[in-house]
Amino acid sequence: MTSSTTVLEPTLGVASRGRLRETVRALLGQRSAVVGLAILFVFVFAAIFAEVLAPYPAEGAAAQLVRPGEPGRRAESCIHILGCPADQPETIFGTDGNSRDVFSRILFGARRSLIIGFATVGLAIIVGTTIGAVAGFAGGLIDNLLMRMMDVVLAFPALLLAIVIVTMIGQSLVNAMMAIAIVAIPVYARVTRASVLSVKEQDFVTASRALGESPVGILTRRILPNALTPLIVTGTLGIASAVLDVAALSFLGLTEIGIAEWGAMIGSEFNGIFSRPLIVLAPGIALTLTVLGFNLLGDGLRDALDPRLSR
Amino acid sequence: MTRFLVRRILLTIPVLIGIVFVVFVLARVIPGDPCRAALGERANATVCNAFNERYGLNEPIPVQFGIYLQSLVQGDLGTSIRFNRPVADLLIERLPLTVELGMYALLIAIALGVPLGLLSAIKRNSIVDVLTMLIANLGVSIPVFVLGLLLQFLFAVILRDTFLGLPPSGRTVAGAPLVPLAQAWGLQDLGGPLRGLLDFFSNMYTINYLLRFEWNQLLDAARHLILPAVALSTIPMAIIARITRSSLVDVLGHDYVRTARAKGLSGAMVVRRHAMRNAMLPVVTIIGLQLGALLSGAVLTETIFNLTGVGRTLYEAIIGRDYIVVQGFTLIIAIGYVVANLLVDLSYAYLDPRIRLG
Repeated sequence: MTSSTTVLEPTLGVASRGRLRETVRALLGQRSAVVGLAILFVFVFAAIFAEVLAPYPAEGAAAQLVRPGEPGRRAESCIHILGCPADQPETIFGTDGNSRDVFSRILFGARRSLIIGFATVGLAIIVGTTIGAVAGFAGGLIDNLLMRMMDVVLAFPALLLAIVIVTMIGQSLVNAMMAIAIVAIPVYARVTRASVLSVKEQDFVTASRALGESPVGILTRRILPNALTPLIVTGTLGIASAVLDVAALSFLGLTEIGIAEWGAMIGSEFNGIFSRPLIVLAPGIALTLTVLGFNLLGDGLRDALDPRLSR
Repeated sequence: MTRFLVRRILLTIPVLIGIVFVVFVLARVIPGDPCRAALGERANATVCNAFNERYGLNEPIPVQFGIYLQSLVQGDLGTSIRFNRPVADLLIERLPLTVELGMYALLIAIALGVPLGLLSAIKRNSIVDVLTMLIANLGVSIPVFVLGLLLQFLFAVILRDTFLGLPPSGRTVAGAPLVPLAQAWGLQDLGGPLRGLLDFFSNMYTINYLLRFEWNQLLDAARHLILPAVALSTIPMAIIARITRSSLVDVLGHDYVRTARAKGLSGAMVVRRHAMRNAMLPVVTIIGLQLGALLSGAVLTETIFNLTGVGRTLYEAIIGRDYIVVQGFTLIIAIGYVVANLLVDLSYAYLDPRIRLG
């Protein structure tokens, strides 16, 4: 393009790098963000090194700690130095109804839950941002049509709508993630549309239009970067609810049987709360902490990125 | 005010018609054969043909919709495919539990959430504030089903033999009789919608026992409701606390509040007389929006606490392709939504004169 961009671009680069550093510093000044990051660090570590950390496999026939022919059963935790007989397999949280080590399954479950969170929100953001950007940029009939469609989705209780969607497309973890992503789309569409509307008429957008930039270019290079801040905050909080909602679906039994996913682990063992509470409560606590981590990080991000909202 | 009221109520009619249509379509897009789902092993071509004939499933979809509308107007919600019982009967039997549960959950959420939020806003940045917001953050983070199980473990296992012990599941101790109000009051001959309404209230156990002065059974029913209601209340409670806090913080920063302070009013007086009313507007909105969260939560809570309410029934109907039940129950829920939103709007008009006059 013109020579002005070659002059502008480097300065912009410096500015955004400086801004990133500033943001990180502001973020680390937020108590909630630091606590959230610390919690998430533990789970990210567990997710990455699950193979190394887990004493046993989490899924399939190999995960069963009993000899062939012996019936699977729930068992108390068994730690050798605390007096558990040496001929029994060592387990921290005990074994579930299929004689699988609950601790190992929680470690592998961390990987699954983090993937669920990022993939679900990623999909919802891609579709939601596109819908919101098109609606806000086009305006008029298209805007009305798209946003009323979003209203219809929001008018139903999220979990019930997700259950209907999963039943429609088939019961599996991937489909459960799809369902939760679909239910979450309107949120991102609204956030993006609001940002687009707020910058659409500003002078720098008019300027790039005058310079002959295509509508797609204006949208992706000029407008969307301005919508990034609310999207990051909403997205981080969205990961928390996505992890929670997918776990709820899999708690209800709408995913594959026997997978090492925290919701499914609780769902298939919840009657054990009266006899072997750890089997149920341990994945429950892992789930709660992960969700709490994302919620705290999201709160901290909001306060750090948007000083107007901070206390 | 009357004009506002009439206009607002009239506006709900097109919304309701839209909902009837969407619910019908949604119930049909669930794939799978209702006959196979209902009859299982016994399903074969001949049996299924008769089955589809009986429930009108052989007709083209538009004709089915016409029949559905026609019977709706006559107040007929259809007959459940799996239970072979009128949907209206199922609703009268199962909706009261969920309404009762949701009502107590919402009461707990408001009774705890609003004061926590107020306290947090008034003592901003104090240790009270930090603690309250930590509780609020935990409240939105802990899954309903995990909290339910945790409560069961604490109150029904660990504290079982103490005075704090609570029953883990169900609605009453086994064998406790529930005398329908119609029978207790000698109204067996009553029929029609009035009877339905009476049976509806009769199936809310706490109300039934209260109206019949059965204090011991009332206490028992209430004790059974505590754990599920608390589990269900945490998410709304946390959300209400957060909104109350941020809303009051916002209002306290306004000029008129400073004026009130400058006049020499005490802090408590400023909050009570000047700030509260304005700060409550967003709180009322958010309370109205909790209906959806309560319903989603009811599916999980009813599963954990072994209760047969709307959430559980609807879940099983979706899985079992019981179109008629899905339709009927979703419709009633959607109407509940519309009514809740109506109430929220009306309370706006009450709280903010600009809305009803503008």
